[in-house]
Amino acid sequence: MKAIYWLKNVRLECGYEKENGRVIGTQTELAHLLIENGTIVKIVKGEFIKTDLHEEDAGGLLLLPSFIEKHVHLDKTLMGDVWRACTPTSSVIERFEHEKNVLPTIGTSTNKRAEALLDILLASGSAHVRTHVDIYPEIGLKNLEQVQMALENYSNKLSSEIVAFAQHGLLRSKSTKLVREALRNGAGIVGAVDPAVVDQNIEASLVELFELATEGNADIDLHLHDPGHLGTFTMKRLAALTKQAGWEGRVAISHAFGLGDVSREEAYELADMLADAGISIVTSVPINRNMPPVDLLNERGVEVSVGNDNIFDVWSPLGTGDILERAGRLAERFKWIDEVSLSQSLKYITGGITPLDVSGNQVWPKVGDAANLVLTPASCSAEAIARRTERKAIIYKGKIVYGTLGKQSQSIQV
Amino acid sequence: MEQSYWLLNVTLDDGFIFEDGNIIGTKSGLYNLYIHNGVIETIQLAEIPIDSTQTPVHDAGNLLALPAFKEMHNHLDKTYLGLPWKSCIPAANLIERLNLEARELAELASSGQLRAEQMLKLLLKGGANHVRTHVNIDPYIGLKNLEEIQKALETFDGKMTHEIVAFPQHGLLRTNSSSLMRQAMNEGATIVGGLDPGGVDLNIEASLYEMMDIAVEFNADIDIHIHDPGHLGFYTIQKLMSLIEDANWQNRVSLSHAFALGDVPIEKSREMAIILAKLGVSVMSTVPINRVMPPVDLLHDYGVHVALGCDGFYDSWSPYGTGDMLEKVGRLAERYKWIDEYSLSQSLQFITGGVKTLDKDGKRLWPKVGDEASLVLVEASCSAEAVARRANRNAVISHGRLAYGELVAESALK
Repeated sequence: MKAIYWLKNVRLECGYEKENGRVIGTQTELAHLLIENGTIVKIVKGEFIKTDLHEEDAGGLLLLPSFIEKHVHLDKTLMGDVWRACTPTSSVIERFEHEKNVLPTIGTSTNKRAEALLDILLASGSAHVRTHVDIYPEIGLKNLEQVQMALENYSNKLSSEIVAFAQHGLLRSKSTKLVREALRNGAGIVGAVDPAVVDQNIEASLVELFELATEGNADIDLHLHDPGHLGTFTMKRLAALTKQAGWEGRVAISHAFGLGDVSREEAYELADMLADAGISIVTSVPINRNMPPVDLLNERGVEVSVGNDNIFDVWSPLGTGDILERAGRLAERFKWIDEVSLSQSLKYITGGITPLDVSGNQVWPKVGDAANLVLTPASCSAEAIARRTERKAIIYKGKIVYGTLGKQSQSIQV
Repeated sequence: MEQSYWLLNVTLDDGFIFEDGNIIGTKSGLYNLYIHNGVIETIQLAEIPIDSTQTPVHDAGNLLALPAFKEMHNHLDKTYLGLPWKSCIPAANLIERLNLEARELAELASSGQLRAEQMLKLLLKGGANHVRTHVNIDPYIGLKNLEEIQKALETFDGKMTHEIVAFPQHGLLRTNSSSLMRQAMNEGATIVGGLDPGGVDLNIEASLYEMMDIAVEFNADIDIHIHDPGHLGFYTIQKLMSLIEDANWQNRVSLSHAFALGDVPIEKSREMAIILAKLGVSVMSTVPINRVMPPVDLLHDYGVHVALGCDGFYDSWSPYGTGDMLEKVGRLAERYKWIDEYSLSQSLQFITGGVKTLDKDGKRLWPKVGDEASLVLVEASCSAEAVARRANRNAVISHGRLAYGELVAESALK
């Protein structure tokens, strides 16, 4: 693909359509983007005027910012290998042991399976992936190396961040040293799990986590399944330590089930505390237990993102890797059925970006934005979320990295 | 497709693989099926030569056969499919929702057939060759929706079978729709519907009696939508059970939604499950994720027949939904944490009218000689994988006839 080209006939959202003060739809217009070295350098509306430059025709497809897969385990997936269901276990500790025993027996390499999953994530529109990688004594840094190889192979198709994840407990599996090594060898984020149920020492586990983070200048992603007030107590301690370390804006809590278990009043209080400490929440939108009240968190300014989590691995045989499907599930879960709610729900899979703000002002794309894009046969974001529209092409740094353009049968309607 | 033919190279679930008494996988076998007049007449191992001189031959290309799916709760008349995108208007309660629907019923009526056909296409592609559709019978629309839906269903004649529920969506008593309901039963509806005798009709006993009267008059089955929550819904179900006994309407009544069964304490659900099983009352669920749902695991354990449906989708009530029954049962499996081989394989029965491929010992239950030749050919190694991984559907054969997709060229036999 040329370093400079026109992406013509893309559909941009330009405002909400109102009737009696209520938003009833989304207005769109056709535009043409000049893309140079991976950046949108010009946005032209109206009739396309031919130049000498190369052209790609989007044929009226809707343009969306590319998606972010915020929580996945590339090292665990069985994708690309033969089918196997999960073995029931009675506790998370038993699941740990089981996983440790099973993964080494799989015929295909971690690297190849990670690539098989990356293909699926990319096809759904994710051009950025945050992956956790298990670090524990038996495996050392092997998972990290394998996943790094896969991500390296895909580095021209998507960006990534790696969490050095002490799946078996930072303290419980005595993995501090290994995690430190992982942080020195390319993992940019430090991850830990359930300071109470797994590590059996909340304070010590959190303190150790922060030591690793500050020493390695790394962000934090804590997997917190610990339920109810046990979980929210841990969050309170995490928030205090975050502020103490000056780590505001650098800490994420994945799952955060406790927030969904406590009363609405308590959840509000916790939301304010999280917002104050700049802690974000990552959820996979579970449907078999309480989940964090995303509506409430959003209202109080806590950043929330969505990830697919386990996809076809020793923990779960389910999951498609389609992050747009996950966003649709979030919307369904919180009964966001109207145009504005649906349209705004896109932000949970784009790192906060939506083409229109709540008032209907066009805020994306702007000249200077990265050309990381999804093209989909939808009339607007709301439709794309609700109807899970097909992903025709994914563009990363200006290059088509999935799908094709120019063969659309869709007619152009202004 | 011919009246009689060999369907070659069909993969069938053929048993379980046991290890220490636990099911750890599914054995499959490759078979040839002889299909005659819509019935499976012969099932023999693919390695046994067939005499193909007289009979046409089709090749399933080693795809796995599953029993065709049944969509047991849909509203073909409501969907927006086929129309330009439209989101929903939030409503504070059911009555407000009904008022919003009433406003657009007349406007939508004329496109009923077209919209329903779009929905049927989706259902069929997903593997369903049977649909139970509810059709609004109310003063706003009269019998118009019934007529449109009948036309749509006619165009799928030979591909999909159906049942039509005359559904007093705006309240049997509330909108005084008894005589319209009787007209609908005379005009081809085969099942009598009902709706929230408490929340909508405001007279539980009178509403139930009236519904029962119509059913007895037309010797018809019943499918009542009970959204009424908690003890209100529970009382309604109790009351209905006594009417069923009085009228001897055993094995003829379905409860759709039945949220109350999930709201009341588990002991009460258990007591009711025993009664439902005894009276042959089935439960239809759409597997909602934004409220408590009936305890499908418990109901099933007590012998209550439970079936799934997509409900009305992409309509004035909800913008979501795909019409994919395999996705629906995957959601059920996720909801109940059915992650092992056996649970996943058995979960199929919730979308096949109770048909499953293997019993607990791994003995093949389906297909058997003499079974209706209605099957879905999917890319999977076994039922469990098909459910968990939402396997691609390549072809649907309904009563011996190819209803969707393609089979590999006839020349496969060499």
